[in-house]
Amino acid sequence: MTPLLSATDIVVQAAGQMLVHPATLVLHPGRPLTILGETGSGKSLLAQALIGTLPQGLTARGRVTIGDRVLDAADPASFRPLWGRTLGVLPQEPWLSLDPLMPARDQVAEGHALVRGLSRVQARTAAVRDLDGLGLGRAGGLRPDQLSGGMAQRAAFAAARAGGARIIIADEPTKGLDAHRRDEICALLLKGAADGGGLLTITHDLALARALGGDLMVVRQGRVVEQGPTAQVLAAPDSDYTRALIAADPASWPRQAPRPAQGAPVLRAEVLSAARGGRVLFRDLDLSVHLGEVLGITGPSGCGKSTLGDTLLGLAWAEAGRVQRAQGIAPVRFQKLYQDPPSAFPRAVTLGRALDDLVALHRLDGARIAPLLDRMRLSPGLLTRRPDAVSGGELQRLALLRVLLLDPVFLFADEPTSRLDLITQAQVTRLMIDIAHQAGMALLIVSHDAHLIARSCDRVIALDGPLAQAA
Amino acid sequence: MSLSDATLTPPAARGPTPAQWAGGAILLLVLGFAWGAPLLVPADPLRQDLMRGLAGPDAAAPLGYDHLGRSLMARLAAALRLSLSIAGVAVLLAGVLGTGLGVLAAWRGGWVDRALVLLADSVLALPGLLMVLIIGVIISNTPLAFAIGLTLVLWIEFFRLTRATAARLLAAPGVQASRLLGFGPGYVFRRHLWPDLAPMLLTVAAFGAATAIMLIAALGFVSVGIRAPRPELGQMMVELLPYYREAPMALFLPVIAIFLTILALNLLAQGRRP
Repeated sequence: MTPLLSATDIVVQAAGQMLVHPATLVLHPGRPLTILGETGSGKSLLAQALIGTLPQGLTARGRVTIGDRVLDAADPASFRPLWGRTLGVLPQEPWLSLDPLMPARDQVAEGHALVRGLSRVQARTAAVRDLDGLGLGRAGGLRPDQLSGGMAQRAAFAAARAGGARIIIADEPTKGLDAHRRDEICALLLKGAADGGGLLTITHDLALARALGGDLMVVRQGRVVEQGPTAQVLAAPDSDYTRALIAADPASWPRQAPRPAQGAPVLRAEVLSAARGGRVLFRDLDLSVHLGEVLGITGPSGCGKSTLGDTLLGLAWAEAGRVQRAQGIAPVRFQKLYQDPPSAFPRAVTLGRALDDLVALHRLDGARIAPLLDRMRLSPGLLTRRPDAVSGGELQRLALLRVLLLDPVFLFADEPTSRLDLITQAQVTRLMIDIAHQAGMALLIVSHDAHLIARSCDRVIALDGPLAQAA
Repeated sequence: MSLSDATLTPPAARGPTPAQWAGGAILLLVLGFAWGAPLLVPADPLRQDLMRGLAGPDAAAPLGYDHLGRSLMARLAAALRLSLSIAGVAVLLAGVLGTGLGVLAAWRGGWVDRALVLLADSVLALPGLLMVLIIGVIISNTPLAFAIGLTLVLWIEFFRLTRATAARLLAAPGVQASRLLGFGPGYVFRRHLWPDLAPMLLTVAAFGAATAIMLIAALGFVSVGIRAPRPELGQMMVELLPYYREAPMALFLPVIAIFLTILALNLLAQGRRP
């Protein structure tokens, strides 16, 4: 079997700094290859070096063989003739890269007409055939805003392949998607590979890598840590790092016995209902949150789980029903953690300044910061930096530290770890729960990851769109 | 493109750009001349000495004399002081008014926002020149009328920019987090809005000052601005125009003064590109 693409000793450098250390890989027809790594591991750079699309300022070295052509990675221009015709890139969040005003069929036909050089009529026929094959036959005339997310994804996939590309490079195809959508995309990618096409996927998502099968490369800090058939690597990892990665996947966290709620209720919601854009998210929800318990809310994206948390906190408006806080507790003791940690801090001042502001405002004891930093395993040096110079995991722990200064009784964590890497996610979640238990506060975690919620919370509320039920 | 690329981008450079340094230096030079000249060589810009009409420089008038024998240096400095003061006051008032209303519109939304936008759009529909002239008819004190008229013209740009930027910034989770932590609107403005607004406002202010100076000179040039004999740059040009053969330098002096001032302000307006 001749490989579709093989690369030898690919290196990526910037200003004399080695970003990707020599990597060698082979992509066979019909056998998906997945590059797995955390943010900043260099996995995207490696893929970009393979197709000549590195950003300016970065240089690559090494030899890439695509079909019968041998190319030099140091000369990105030589890859250009292959773009669209041999190499197709499925961009991150493909629905954003579709033309918002053009019907899906025409966007796919453009590839056939302009890249492959078919006539208008032939291109149109080919586009209709492509979309039919993906189950989008009826949706060809719709604009992207009239398509559902999954349909837009399939249309973008058809457009990426319209130029006749045999090799598809998918960059983080499941970023920010829930499990259901992830499975859809996985099936789509595998369908493309099934008829002898090449599929190179870049992801941080262990579940996606497992579902795609084929071969796996684990990348860390620009080095290939481990390489081999996916099933084998995941079943019997050689490196400590791969083992840690697998252990950090919420699906493999240890189950823990739920602790019955003991503390006094801090928050009680009665017959709560909310709707957005004319769609009912939840109705007649009765709920009480007790001190010391960890409550989880999960459900597919758009089901209203964050809205429920915001409503409980009084940040969002409820259609009906009411939320009652326990008497005599200061309003600032009801707090929230955000999905995107950098945006939760003032951008222009150092983190230490932001904490000092809070201490000054509430006349808190500034001496409490140091032991808390220690408890969160954060270096005090971080406080001299601005939010954009600190990693997401550290920043989320700092956000936790910031609310802890106010001795919260209720903390709503809105997708607190969905922007973090697996290992960091496990650490931050563990820390959050330990601290909630210790401080005796009520913690409400919202996440699209059902495993994470199931294995870390005492009580779970599963929302599934129109109906809500307490489990 | 994942975050791996974001970690490679160098931290954003801060502080003024070379162009801004140059603009600031030229502006300081102009300001130094306007306020320093009368200290260096005291002279009355209105005192005529017809015997010295269009005479060359001497110790009492280092830049020579105009057609009525008045010291050009004293007149130029007085004209610059007048233009710069009016522009400064107008930009300051417009900045405070426009920024305040912009933040208010973005914060409150709803009918407050709609009413303010309607007001701004209506004012924008009037030509700026006309507005200054109308105020000039209502208020007899010309410099004050100019300052008020220009304020009414200039505040709109501050308002629109602040409103659009503040609306985006206020929607960020950071603002909600700060409110939850107990901080008031003042803190939100100082920590969340001002750092992003300030560089933009500086640009608008510099352009606004340039517009104001040009407008004052243009009205002076067509003799409907500041009344003679009070020296004003546009009016000086039109007075000296008939003598361009005999005294070309005398005509060029106000032109150079305006050129340098506008150049300085435009250089100052060039912030960093994102």
